[in-house]
Amino acid sequence: MIQEEKTVVLELLGVEKSYPGNPPVRALRGIDLLVRKGELLALVGTSGSGKSTMLNVMGALDRPTAGNVLIEGQDLSNLSDRQLSSLRGRRIGFIFQQFHLIAGMSAVENVSAGLLYQGISRSRRHSNAITLLHRVGLGDRLAHLPHQLSGGEQQRVAIARALMGEPAIILADELTGNLDSKTSEEIIDLLHQLNRDGSTIVVVTHDGAIAHSFPGMVTLLDGLVANDSRAA
Amino acid sequence: MTRKMGFSRISFADAIGVGTLGLRTRKTRTMLTALGIAIGIAAMISVLGITSSSDAQLKSELAALGPNLLEITPGESFTGAEVSFPEDASKVVERIGTVESSSAVFVVNTSVRRNEFIPKQQTGGIAALAVDLEMLSMIDGAVAEGQFLDLSSASLPKVVLGSVAAERLGITSTRRSPQVFLDDTYFTVIGILAAAPLAPNIERAALMGVEIAAELFDLQPEPSLIYARVNESLLDDQRRFDETRSVIAASVLPDAPSGVSVSRPSDLLAARTSTQNAFTGLLLGLGAVALLVGGVGIANVMVISVIERRTEIGIRRALGALRGHIRLQFVFESALLAALGGVAGIILGALITVTYASSRDWVISVPTTSLGAGVGLAVAIGTIAGLYPAARAARLDPAEAVRPRV
Repeated sequence: MIQEEKTVVLELLGVEKSYPGNPPVRALRGIDLLVRKGELLALVGTSGSGKSTMLNVMGALDRPTAGNVLIEGQDLSNLSDRQLSSLRGRRIGFIFQQFHLIAGMSAVENVSAGLLYQGISRSRRHSNAITLLHRVGLGDRLAHLPHQLSGGEQQRVAIARALMGEPAIILADELTGNLDSKTSEEIIDLLHQLNRDGSTIVVVTHDGAIAHSFPGMVTLLDGLVANDSRAA
Repeated sequence: MTRKMGFSRISFADAIGVGTLGLRTRKTRTMLTALGIAIGIAAMISVLGITSSSDAQLKSELAALGPNLLEITPGESFTGAEVSFPEDASKVVERIGTVESSSAVFVVNTSVRRNEFIPKQQTGGIAALAVDLEMLSMIDGAVAEGQFLDLSSASLPKVVLGSVAAERLGITSTRRSPQVFLDDTYFTVIGILAAAPLAPNIERAALMGVEIAAELFDLQPEPSLIYARVNESLLDDQRRFDETRSVIAASVLPDAPSGVSVSRPSDLLAARTSTQNAFTGLLLGLGAVALLVGGVGIANVMVISVIERRTEIGIRRALGALRGHIRLQFVFESALLAALGGVAGIILGALITVTYASSRDWVISVPTTSLGAGVGLAVAIGTIAGLYPAARAARLDPAEAVRPRV
């Protein structure tokens, strides 16, 4: 595969992140990374290697202390908080370890909340949400509330929400961390499926088996990229 | 590639859905929190409603009694000397175009006692008055027991007692022809008047005919009080009404019109009641304190809610919500919570008013402006109470808020 021909979706240039303290905690110590359109990339590392911090910085949830983050060529350091929020809503899909569905809202409502802040009509969002729920295999759970769904089902709803609005990149943080192994496999299969359909996905995980099933794997160690399987 | 970006936005309908979510999913808490505001608003509405009903009751009573009744009494002249009216003062007043009728009352210098064995000094504050036959209709009075004076009884030693006078003399019925003792004559009580709130001095008097008064007692020929009914059309025209008052004064005493006091008993009655209403200020204040406490309760619950819903806030930020959207969500929720309390409060307050007013047979009056103001006040308090929690919610760091918790 000739990667240079594919559009760069996300780019990190010398990204550093430190948290105040005595001495300051240097979570990221100068990271360079490229994610191209259509990639399915695992971000692995031990606990404390900085992978969650990196995901937050990649997803514009957090600003780096130094260095640049570019999403679809747009340098985030020049953006205001309002612009960052808007960019997250439009171009980035998030999947969290604890699913983080909004309580009191049905599966359809939770998925359609993926585009809640884009000024898109409720009916259009709902019909998109229903299509996506069918795609993740939850066509029969549309009106269920989060607490009426199993963990795997909740995570599928969260995946459908991340897919809303066709984001440039989907960032997942330990998305199988709260699931049993069989359900985990199903969820990982679903990610492969979505990736084959064209989604760009970065998954943070400490599960080597999952990481090895992905075409690309970047290993973090002490806030630095220790290994990038794609470069080899 | 650089794209031109618009900001995140949310439709009005969606904003309402988001703003009501917290209340919909925590119904018990919503009800309990709204209750605080409801109590405050209900207290204020019922205080206003009961005051207004009591006012409405008074107004309807006054309207029934006739706000066109004037009481004309001698006051003090310019030099401070006591004035007295000419004998024909009542006739003069009646000749004024805007006056419909008039009636004179004369003071009889005697004491009214139950019998001869009671000392003269123990008058019980009861006056003896000589009146003409129209006096009763003039003050819109009614006979509770027996009958009023007529052409024949007016010249006989017979009296009609005002309601208060009858009570003080211990006379409740005319059936056994009770008598009262005036100077050295026994008078038969032929009637007892019903309460006449517009004419307190009639209530406290024994009334007899002018003829018998002149015959038996040293009757002052000058009237001490003249009642006059003016044309009802004057009531809507304060200027003409005042004009009539000065014309009356000038007609009665052309030399010293300032010595004539022309008052309207219904005004006095209204003024007396309005001082009773000073109480309502205090009660309203208590309602306001209840509201304030309710507002603090809302702020408290909202702060807790923001802490509990950190993850939701983080998710919403990740989904593109601006800080302003989060702030709006919580301010809206807080205002709505208070509005719920406000609506419940005005319903409760109105019910209290209706129940209380009907239990006292009052005219029911709930001021509609107070209903609107009640909800408005509640929303204002809710908005203010929500500002701080909402600011805290908006300040949350999204990366921190979505971090997995054990």
